[in-house]
Amino acid sequence: MRSPTMRRATGVVAGAAALALLSACGSAGSESRTTITLFQFKPEAVDFFTQAAADFEAENPDVRVVVDNVPDAETLLRTRLVKDDVPDVMTLNGNGTFGELASAEVFRDWSGDPLLKEVNPAYVDVVQELGEGAPGEVNGIPFAANASGVLYNPEIFAEQGLEVPRTWEEFVATAQTLEKAGVTPVYGTLADAWTVQAALAPLVPQTQPEDFFEQRFAGTTTFEQGWPEALEKLATLYDYTQPNAGSRGYDDGTQAFARGEAAMLVIGTYAIPQVRTFEPDFEIGSFALPATDDPAATTVVSGVDVLLATGRDGEHPEESRRLVEFLLEPERVAAYAEAQVAIPALEGQVAQDPALAGLQPLIDAGRVDGFFDHQFIPAIPLGPQLQSYLLGGTDMETTLAQLDEDWDAVAARRTWGLGAVES
Amino acid sequence: MAGATRTRPTATRPGAAPNDGRRRLLSERTPRAFYWMVAPAVVLFAVFHTLPAIRGLLYSFTDSPGYGPWEFVGLSNYVALLSDDRVRAAYLFTFQFALVATVLVNVIALGVAVLLNSRIRAKNALRGLFFVPNILAVLVIGYVFNYLFANSLPAIASALGVERLSTSILADESLAWVGVVVLAVWQAAAFNIIIYLAGLQTVPEEIYEAAAIDGARPWRRFWSITFPLIAGFFTINMVLSLKNFLQVFDHIIAITNGGPGTSTESISVLIYRGGFQGGEYGYQTANAVVFLVVIVLFSVVQLRVLQRREVSL
Repeated sequence: MRSPTMRRATGVVAGAAALALLSACGSAGSESRTTITLFQFKPEAVDFFTQAAADFEAENPDVRVVVDNVPDAETLLRTRLVKDDVPDVMTLNGNGTFGELASAEVFRDWSGDPLLKEVNPAYVDVVQELGEGAPGEVNGIPFAANASGVLYNPEIFAEQGLEVPRTWEEFVATAQTLEKAGVTPVYGTLADAWTVQAALAPLVPQTQPEDFFEQRFAGTTTFEQGWPEALEKLATLYDYTQPNAGSRGYDDGTQAFARGEAAMLVIGTYAIPQVRTFEPDFEIGSFALPATDDPAATTVVSGVDVLLATGRDGEHPEESRRLVEFLLEPERVAAYAEAQVAIPALEGQVAQDPALAGLQPLIDAGRVDGFFDHQFIPAIPLGPQLQSYLLGGTDMETTLAQLDEDWDAVAARRTWGLGAVES
Repeated sequence: MAGATRTRPTATRPGAAPNDGRRRLLSERTPRAFYWMVAPAVVLFAVFHTLPAIRGLLYSFTDSPGYGPWEFVGLSNYVALLSDDRVRAAYLFTFQFALVATVLVNVIALGVAVLLNSRIRAKNALRGLFFVPNILAVLVIGYVFNYLFANSLPAIASALGVERLSTSILADESLAWVGVVVLAVWQAAAFNIIIYLAGLQTVPEEIYEAAAIDGARPWRRFWSITFPLIAGFFTINMVLSLKNFLQVFDHIIAITNGGPGTSTESISVLIYRGGFQGGEYGYQTANAVVFLVVIVLFSVVQLRVLQRREVSL
């Protein structure tokens, strides 16, 4: 998940820096208006939030908003925190870093705020699972989400008379049918190890025991006990990839999929814009990868791509809240989701993009799980180890034992907090 | 180093050269000019190299993730390094890779240089051509080689019926390192060829003529005349190659990204990944400090051993 964002980020960094400079210059004037800062992390959304801030100022003449578009937002935010300089309003990615900061009581609590009632409660849960300042707190408001599942080619499915699979068994049967018909069922991109992690993302929450990571951090369970099913199914999934999957990367995958060379890609929705760059009118379908044989147990893995947060002890709580409220207006969230092919986080809103339509019912029903990698220790090379496992370098027992060993080793040598669960 | 350069001119003790006006003039005036000439380099070196290096050393005793608050943890990072399998695997890979690549690069470069130094047609054009790999960015040729290994080589191999090579070697844990070696050797040979060519031109023609009169054959002339006389160049090339290959980074990023698995993860790649992406900045800084010491030790030993065999006319 990290790679495509980083790649896009580099292109936008220059523009973002220039904008940040401009806005910094603009704030020098002395006037009676209250100045608040909007700290904005997403390079792709610079235009959107700059425009939104301008619209807000037009409606609220007493407030001026300085939009701070930054490259490498997490590092910068941490350095600002050291200086006790928390921005008034922040857009942040709902990941492990957010969880760590939320647990450190950096952000204000929104629980009980009417704004939260308009948001899909499943995403509120995801935010709370990342980390909370105190039990029951909600330290960020979900704004937009992405999801990980299967992108498929509806044309190929129609040609083969296939339906969207609802169970793991049906999924395997679908892949077998495609293979017999001479179509590559899934395009594997093992050369980019992170794409393997993206494929594992939907399998893990559906097959691992409840509270697995809490228990793993506490040392009361192991990967050997909790992950065999997920890894076994991951291997089955990769049995249905093209023969040269080992030497193909993410770009090859999106391109081949756009050319109709494979029926499915197991990847996040963030790949959709890239597929369209190769084939703008290409029809893309999506469904959640079922990992069990109970259709009702299938969940979609979805992460909060953008959330809104404000400082816990900000100087301008009233103005900050007004800006958050303004940004959360339904038409603004919808416009953002459409422009970024994202899933709007508001209750009752649906993703307009047809490529996301297959995931929407599960999201509406609240059958949503977070990305497990937000709880995984980043110092462990999970992607490469999975890559090695799928290429036949290590068997499943060795892979699981290695994960447990690495986990314990890193936990032993690290003295600081291991994310939301421990601290 | 910087300190030594600075103190040497003033090392003349006042009592050492009494009543010698000219000498005192020299020791007072010239050094000042030297100071000014050296100062910018010293300042730049200190600010951009020495200070960060000392800071890095400091971080190796902390639990810092690279930002935010940190605490001193004493030597525990160094202790943890000893039992880290991933670190051990990275050292093993790096040394094997560096050894193979250093030997191959020097054998190939010396061979090509000898050929390019003989009486052949289009000598200068060929010399230019052989230097081209050196001016191309490793990342760029890395992607070209990546394509060759992922597409061309398997196509050729399956056409010839070589089963072992019909899938990409970069997707094979036991063969991926060969891909990295091929890329590294192809790229590094260019620079070593230039050094060897320079060396070969220092060998006087008369010695060869005398040897030819004595009836020495080309092979004998190479081992008994050419090689001993360019031993200094051989030393430089060996030391520089080994050092560069031990620090291998961009080759791996471009061609395997450390994979498959972690089978081609070099120490530099591990430091970068673990330190910046894995959030273990302090721990990997300790790794970097150890690695620095290892490289210095290797280079010193190598210089000592190789310099012993150098001869001069």
